[in-house]
Amino acid sequence: MKGPTRLAFAALGAVMGLMAGAAVAQDPVTIGYSIARTGIYAAAAPSQENSYKLWQTQVNAEGGLLLPGGERRPVEFVSYDDQSNPANTVRIYEKLITQDKVDLLAAPWGTPMHLALAPVLQRFKMPMVGNTAASVQLRTVAPGYIWFPTSAIPDAMGAELAKMMKANGVTSAALLANELPYSQEFRSFLIPALEEAGIEVKVDESYPPDIKDMTSMLVQVRDAAPDAVVAMTYPADAFLFAGQAKELGLKAPFVLSLIGPTIDAYRKANGTAVNGIVSSAHWSAQADKWPKGRPFFDAYVSAFGEEPDALDSALSYMSMEILQQAVAKAGLDPEALREAIATGSFDTINGEVRFEGVQNVVTPTGFVQIQDGKIELVWPESVKTADYAPKQGW
Amino acid sequence: MDTLLSGQLLFAALVSGSLYALVALGLNLVYGTLRLLNIAHGDLVMIGAYTAFWMFSLFAVPPLVSLVLAAALCALLGWAVYAGLFRRMLAKPDLAKRVEANSLILFYGISVILQNLTALAFSSTSRGYQYLDTVITWQGISMTGNRLLSLGVAATICFGTLLFLRFHLFGWGLRAVIERREAAQVVGVNLNRVQLLTICGGFAVAGMAGVLVSMTEQITPFMGFPFTIVAFVVIIIGGLGNIGAGILAGFCLGLVETFGIALTSPGYRSILIYGLFVGVLMVRPEGIFTKAVRS
Amino acid sequence: MRLGSALWIALAGFGAAVPFFGSTYLMGVVFQVAMWIALAQSWSMLSATTGYLSLGHAVFYGVGAYVCVLLTGIIPFEFAILAAAGSAALFAALIGLPVLRVRGPYFVILTYGLSELVRHVVMRIESALGSFGRMIFDVPAQEVLLWWMVGLAVLATLGAYAIRHSRFGAGLAAIREDEVAAQTIGVPVTRLKLLAFIASAAIPGAVGGLALLRTSYFEPAQAFDPVISFTIVTMALVGGTDSVRGPILGAMGFALLSELLWSTLPQLYMIVLGLTLIVFVLFVPRGLSGLVGRIGGAR
Repeated sequence: MKGPTRLAFAALGAVMGLMAGAAVAQDPVTIGYSIARTGIYAAAAPSQENSYKLWQTQVNAEGGLLLPGGERRPVEFVSYDDQSNPANTVRIYEKLITQDKVDLLAAPWGTPMHLALAPVLQRFKMPMVGNTAASVQLRTVAPGYIWFPTSAIPDAMGAELAKMMKANGVTSAALLANELPYSQEFRSFLIPALEEAGIEVKVDESYPPDIKDMTSMLVQVRDAAPDAVVAMTYPADAFLFAGQAKELGLKAPFVLSLIGPTIDAYRKANGTAVNGIVSSAHWSAQADKWPKGRPFFDAYVSAFGEEPDALDSALSYMSMEILQQAVAKAGLDPEALREAIATGSFDTINGEVRFEGVQNVVTPTGFVQIQDGKIELVWPESVKTADYAPKQGW
Repeated sequence: MDTLLSGQLLFAALVSGSLYALVALGLNLVYGTLRLLNIAHGDLVMIGAYTAFWMFSLFAVPPLVSLVLAAALCALLGWAVYAGLFRRMLAKPDLAKRVEANSLILFYGISVILQNLTALAFSSTSRGYQYLDTVITWQGISMTGNRLLSLGVAATICFGTLLFLRFHLFGWGLRAVIERREAAQVVGVNLNRVQLLTICGGFAVAGMAGVLVSMTEQITPFMGFPFTIVAFVVIIIGGLGNIGAGILAGFCLGLVETFGIALTSPGYRSILIYGLFVGVLMVRPEGIFTKAVRS
Repeated sequence: MRLGSALWIALAGFGAAVPFFGSTYLMGVVFQVAMWIALAQSWSMLSATTGYLSLGHAVFYGVGAYVCVLLTGIIPFEFAILAAAGSAALFAALIGLPVLRVRGPYFVILTYGLSELVRHVVMRIESALGSFGRMIFDVPAQEVLLWWMVGLAVLATLGAYAIRHSRFGAGLAAIREDEVAAQTIGVPVTRLKLLAFIASAAIPGAVGGLALLRTSYFEPAQAFDPVISFTIVTMALVGGTDSVRGPILGAMGFALLSELLWSTLPQLYMIVLGLTLIVFVLFVPRGLSGLVGRIGGAR
């Protein structure tokens, strides 16, 4: 072989070696999750998946997910539609772990999915930070490979809400609850808490999720004239409640609608009528003490043309922040990662998060209120971004 | 007791009743003339709702104008479905023989496609817009503008259709097809034309119902199925294929729902409705308002 | 025919043996396919034989799941599953007479309405009991659940086969052809229909219980999900209702399609599914079973 040719080959080899090296460095980190693109939860899922996508874009724009050695690798998602069926969720995560061999897992949407997944994660020893699940039953999950950053757990919420109502001079309340599990669970903890706070329950009704007209129920509430109306809604009936409570001109100064008001479309559909409505969430973009919150809000709005849901979008983004910080510390090894999540302290858009067992023990249980179309945190005192203001008409 | 007698509940019952009647009217037309179990009916309501939402949000077109647009869009869909699928199906004797099974599966397929195309195009994020939500009070009854409008439009379409079917020649042909299919053909009713126009009409009515719904409810690609169910409940109570009785049954269902909740508890709402539905089917499947004509 | 039987036995054997060589994922797929075979096959015991199209089989699945969740922890799970099957059958026996008097499109809608009614009643009971979704601990091992499910699929298939090839089945076929005429010539139509209804309800009850143990969480809205009813009907009809192999082919066909599309076209998966249904109704009226038969016959 002549000199120049050999040189050329050597150069080629070097280039190829470089390229191979680059390819190794660029080998993406895969994160798997299942999502309800169809079925009964489909309307709720985008607020979660949007947060995932935003996080991915941001991480990749920084050059990738940071690993302990200082190396950065781009993030790639592998996702499947679980059709809102927990049996599919179980199957999908088994596939993600054993067939697709993803490096990391992100959470599916909803309490039933999280609960169904806990044993699967345990079996394969794969850690996953949950997000959109809230139930006292979460505490019965054996601690190990799943964590729940939410602080909107019904028992704590019932106690906090009773405190908040008492602090704001409420002496009587009407309770309306959807028959789906989360609102029923909340109701079961709220009633004793109200009793203890000396708040009289004047109306206590449950209604099926497919209700189409609330007039007779709300007329009953109007005639009872309580200081507070606590409507334990899901999104579809939250719209119905707002429209018909306005129609009947409910006068109660304290009005809560459990799930729904933090959704962008809810405020678009109801405009100024829903100013003053209290709802469940523990995050607000308005909080100065959580400096990461505002940039997240702005980035979300510019990416998707609507505001993030203060509950689901925020929780989903938090779960990815926790994962990211744990990976930076412990890398991709599942055991090391589990250890890092279980023992670490994380800096998120919702402030510090730290787990004991499966639960986040730092973020306080809170309530938000719509004020001038914005979501303000009004409870508890320690984190509030604005003062609670009684609802002034519809 | 005062509440029961106040006009407030009656207004609520009429608003939901008129909407039920309207949604069911479309389904009843399609079932009556073609014997097709259209379980994609609610998805047409969804398409009407999206039409109104986008026209309002993008071009500030009020829902009353969207009414025409949604009707046209759904009618077009009806034409496509009839010409592309059902004419073919009904023409093959072995397929037409098992019309229930086949139409059920065909419409299930259509329903799945419509829902997922919409989700793909617009994402499944819930939508909503604010329109005419000022509250008017009359005789002690508070009425939101959009609900009053919904009642007016739905009732007008229902009774307009009823009058049209009674007095226009086409209506005679249609009724003939519903009641005596073979005989109608013998006396020169153009079966194909009647079927095409009815399916277009039935779809259009569902689209218009969707526009009305969009003013007060959240809009998602998967919102349609409950409307399909309500429509079936109504036309079963009225009697399959009986247009006038179906409209009456829609209003009755509104009354039963509102006053039933007032008399018992909201928790029994769905049990009451499905109980009524199952009860009627078991005891009098030809409908409460139909004189029993057994073939 | 002998070759066919050998093929089915091999298939069931493969399903049962998967835990020894297959991945967890393959076990999940087999569990799912066996579940749909069991459901579609049970459905066909009533609906394919008599032409009474049930759109409410989710009710039996849901009743089974509910009974199973109430009993797990109290009695061994094997008995809970049997109790689930028993209560679904009992429920069918109780409602059978009035329901089966209704025919044609009315029957389709009635079964659907009944399933929704029971769903709402169970939701109401659960909320009155102050229960908000129930979790199950100590579920049996995955392979045990898989064996049970494969067993149910086999049982349902054998049952469907036995019914079709018996005098009982001949009576049901007579009902499908012309119920009034059958009655006139002395076929005990009411009794036969009721028996077929009960037979087609039992296994879905057990399936509901097993599926519940797999997800370890019960919520009425999901246990009585109407999508279950729709999927059963579509699988059975796409598979073909003329023979026992129809529901098996339907369930396997759907599983294959979904595995294929899931990984390649996740966004379009449901749309392709919808298109498949339309194509089948219009162009393959006798289902996959008819298609396979035609290919077999041409040789």
